[in-house]
Amino acid sequence: MEVTDAAVVAQVLAGDRDAFRVLVERHSRSIFRVIYRMTGNQQDAEELVQETFLRAYKSLERFELRANFSTWLYRIAVNRTLDFLSARKTHMQTKDTYQIVDNPDAEDGSQIQLPASGPGPDRLLLSAEMKQKIAGALGLLTPAERVAFTMRHMEGRSIEEISQTLNLKSSAAKNSVFRAVQKLRQQLEPYAGPVAPARSPRWGGSAAK
Amino acid sequence: MNHLSEEQIVLHYYGDAEEASEVERHLAACPECRTEFARVQSMLQQIEPLEVPEPAAGFEEKTWLNLRDRLPEKGSFLRRLLQGQQKWALAGAMAVLLAAAFLAGRFWPRPGPQIAQQPPSQVNPQRVVLVAVGDHLERSQMLLVEIMNADAKGPINFSSEQAEARELLDSNHLYRVSSQQAGDPQVARLLDQLGRVLAEVANGPADVSPEDLQQVRRTIQSEGLLFKVRVVSSEVNSRVRRPELSGGSVNQRL
Repeated sequence: MEVTDAAVVAQVLAGDRDAFRVLVERHSRSIFRVIYRMTGNQQDAEELVQETFLRAYKSLERFELRANFSTWLYRIAVNRTLDFLSARKTHMQTKDTYQIVDNPDAEDGSQIQLPASGPGPDRLLLSAEMKQKIAGALGLLTPAERVAFTMRHMEGRSIEEISQTLNLKSSAAKNSVFRAVQKLRQQLEPYAGPVAPARSPRWGGSAAK
Repeated sequence: MNHLSEEQIVLHYYGDAEEASEVERHLAACPECRTEFARVQSMLQQIEPLEVPEPAAGFEEKTWLNLRDRLPEKGSFLRRLLQGQQKWALAGAMAVLLAAAFLAGRFWPRPGPQIAQQPPSQVNPQRVVLVAVGDHLERSQMLLVEIMNADAKGPINFSSEQAEARELLDSNHLYRVSSQQAGDPQVARLLDQLGRVLAEVANGPADVSPEDLQQVRRTIQSEGLLFKVRVVSSEVNSRVRRPELSGGSVNQRL
């Protein structure tokens, strides 16, 4: 029978440092996937996996043995990634090549648009290029918006999980998701084809993943 | 009739809108909001989860190997010693030898006038301990000064300070035990206080926030640790320089 995560944690806390290897082997791939979705970069994700486990090891005394280790580790990974994205954003701000245009629809008048010299809408119908546009648009979100959107849209985490993981109020978590979608729409809708008015009278939560 | 806000529409897509049934009723009755919802739906459906590449084979092994040496020890001193970590075993053996040599030197019958005939290069074990403690205190003092003078305006990467603290922490315990056994309670007490701060730095996060840094500084200041380390370090060094003083404990200035 496989030893539970909690039992391994207890073993590490008792001084068996090498037992931590079991937890690394069990969880590093899933943590890699989570971090990759948020950073979009394999090398960054691999380094952040190590940082996540290092932070987890150092905080192991605070882990409650009755709790779920993977959930606890997931929270550490998300927060470590959020710190990383925040630091990177600060660093990249001076290198930003996107044009800032005067957009009357933007709430703060500083909405960032994709480069004006980019390919036209016809070419963007190609899915590879659309994926590129989506990746570019995701890169324009704030770190908190990106993390909240990834959790809600790509991982199907609930607002409650997002607020607990990021230590936010539920309303702030919802707002982060909304702001992310709002920015993505502003970036991506100009490239989308016409949308037929929907006929069905029922919509409720159909797309929630 | 007021239309739904963009936020209501977006949150409704995810099933997170407040008063969902009212939102649904409105959508059923309002073609404009339905079109807006369809736009949101169409755009979001294009954003699929990123395809995650599989890490290379041996990813777990590589992660563990990169991680292993960065993990500080946990658990009791005795257990760590018994687990046979090479560094600890070596340091432990050295400490035991030093303490034994020191005690032997202290309680061995003094040879009287013949001592003058012994070669002057003979190693005094107590002096060896003093030299080691003196070095340890000097390194600790430098680390404490770095912490006190670090720029606290934003988050700081403390990984090099952490590595130094971990190294000092390893030897700190041994010197404390040796000092206690050598009948030097002042030094032992100081090393005890120092050990707590070293542990706080060694086990803290690598990226330290200004608040965390302030907390460590408060601990250092509240115990007057930097001052005590300076005083004892200078006392120990003067005993190292003047071997005739090395028999007693440090004075009661602390």
